[in-house]
Amino acid sequence: MKKEDSKPTLEARRAFLAKLGGAATCAGAVVGAATLGVIPAVSAKTETPSGGASFPTKDYDWTKHQWGFGVDATKCIGCLRCVEACKTENEVPRNAHQFRTWVERYVYLEGEKAVRIDSQQDPVNIQASGSEKEFRFANRYKDAKVEKAFFVPKLCNHCAHPACVQVCPVGATYKTEDGVVLIDHDYCIGCRYCVQACPYGARYFDEEKGVSDKCTWCYHRITKGLEPACVEVCPVGARVFGDQKDKQSPISLFIRNNRVQVLRPESGNAPNVFYVGIDKEVN
Amino acid sequence: MPKHIFRLVSLIVGFLVVTIIAVPLLVPDSFYRFGHYRANSVVAIAAQQPVLQTANYCKDCHSERHAQWSASNHKSVTCEVCHGAAQGHPQNGKLPIPKDAAKLCTLCHEAMPGRPRTQPQIQVTQHSGGQQCTVCHNPHSPKIAAASVKVAGNAAAGKQKSADCAACHGAAGISPNDTWPNLAGQNAAYLVRILAAYKSGDQKDVAMTPLAQALGDADIQNLAIYYAGLNCKGAAGGKAAGDVAAGKVLAKNCAACHGETGIGSNPAWPKLAAQKQGYLVNALKAFKAGLRKDPMMAGVSRGLSDTDIADLAAYYAAQSCQSTK
Repeated sequence: MKKEDSKPTLEARRAFLAKLGGAATCAGAVVGAATLGVIPAVSAKTETPSGGASFPTKDYDWTKHQWGFGVDATKCIGCLRCVEACKTENEVPRNAHQFRTWVERYVYLEGEKAVRIDSQQDPVNIQASGSEKEFRFANRYKDAKVEKAFFVPKLCNHCAHPACVQVCPVGATYKTEDGVVLIDHDYCIGCRYCVQACPYGARYFDEEKGVSDKCTWCYHRITKGLEPACVEVCPVGARVFGDQKDKQSPISLFIRNNRVQVLRPESGNAPNVFYVGIDKEVN
Repeated sequence: MPKHIFRLVSLIVGFLVVTIIAVPLLVPDSFYRFGHYRANSVVAIAAQQPVLQTANYCKDCHSERHAQWSASNHKSVTCEVCHGAAQGHPQNGKLPIPKDAAKLCTLCHEAMPGRPRTQPQIQVTQHSGGQQCTVCHNPHSPKIAAASVKVAGNAAAGKQKSADCAACHGAAGISPNDTWPNLAGQNAAYLVRILAAYKSGDQKDVAMTPLAQALGDADIQNLAIYYAGLNCKGAAGGKAAGDVAAGKVLAKNCAACHGETGIGSNPAWPKLAAQKQGYLVNALKAFKAGLRKDPMMAGVSRGLSDTDIADLAAYYAAQSCQSTK
């Protein structure tokens, strides 16, 4: 009884929905046609980056470069001069919890299964440095039975398919032609969606300016022919930077001459920071 | 057209008109120039000025330091790592010279699990006895490299020549007098260096200068080999005139070059074990007063009092001259 009752109701609903769909399509066509008037006006402005004069500066053409970064963790000594240089160069807030680049220490103790990880913002390390504005690794494992230990510098991966860019609701973060992910601080509305989206924790929120911030590979330096500040100061060559379009650049040689890996390849972001000498625990 | 449909259509048309007018006004000029972002923000970011200026920036004015630094194994540590960012320098004043070198140097050189073996590392508590690194090391060229000269001489010829020295330094290189040094068993490379310094006038001594000036280069080599090959067994520093225990504590500061008991690893530096006490005191006082010139020794002797010097001399004099290795 119940089934027979419900049948006509369902059919009637289906018919109604079909008519509604038709009406919506018609309306959509009308609106769409009208909107087309707007879209060409916008799309006409979109240029191919290769056309016209060199961009973004007159001495630097971003179509001629594809930047890449290498990290050789076997060389890193954990001196944190890169962190210091980055803070200075980019006016990163002087505190122990906001960083554009940082260094992690991985320590395997005898008889322990889990790896111990700390970075310069660990309270013990802050105490060793004596200030939240200075950075140093405390020698906390000097008397422990260390089976294996190493340092890993981290920074924004400048992914080929950046999740942070995808989620930005206002187009305030974007991928440049030369492979750098940048943030437009004037356009950022401070929603922090990108901070959440980054699988690497590379972004932080600057409360004072009300915007998200992260590593730019020192875009203002590399467009002037300099190296990023962290690469410039690294005393052991653990950080490598260069143009992937130049087959003899440090980064091309680094990728070619080493077995490199990227962090979290499964996330699909296709990072452009290449690592040598890290364990599977590093991600 | 029914009234309500007309209202709906006019609403939609009105909305479209507002959109068409508003969109170009609200979207910034450079937005969509290359994509869904403001192209002008790239220009603004690229136009920022670098804060760190690189070592080339320092080169013109600090050419001497730059040359020394760039030839040393600290050349991978750029100027601004220790002195801070050079933006605005020299217009806005001097850059700091790090006061607490020990704190700065240990950022890289403190022995720590996780640092690669190739990195030079020190046990902070055992290395310098709390002294600043700059006492012994030049930060612009930190490796202490008293070039170890290769000595190739003839011991027999040296023995002949040594007749001239025997009156003061003893027939077998063991001095009969507290103020003249024992030579038996001394490092040949050091003997060559010091004799050459007397000869050239870099180092002066009433007795040694004229004697050394009479020596040829071959004589110096032969003498060095001869004295280095002598047995130092008979050497004794004499009765302690200072506090040996206190000297032992002070000697920790000297251990990096002269070894814990006065026998160092580098033959360019003299052995001190079982050396004459009076000679050691005089030598240290001469370094302190600048009469003997050595940048390293001038630095380390500056802070020593006369009592410290006596204690140190007593300690080294009391050590055995034969290497325990």
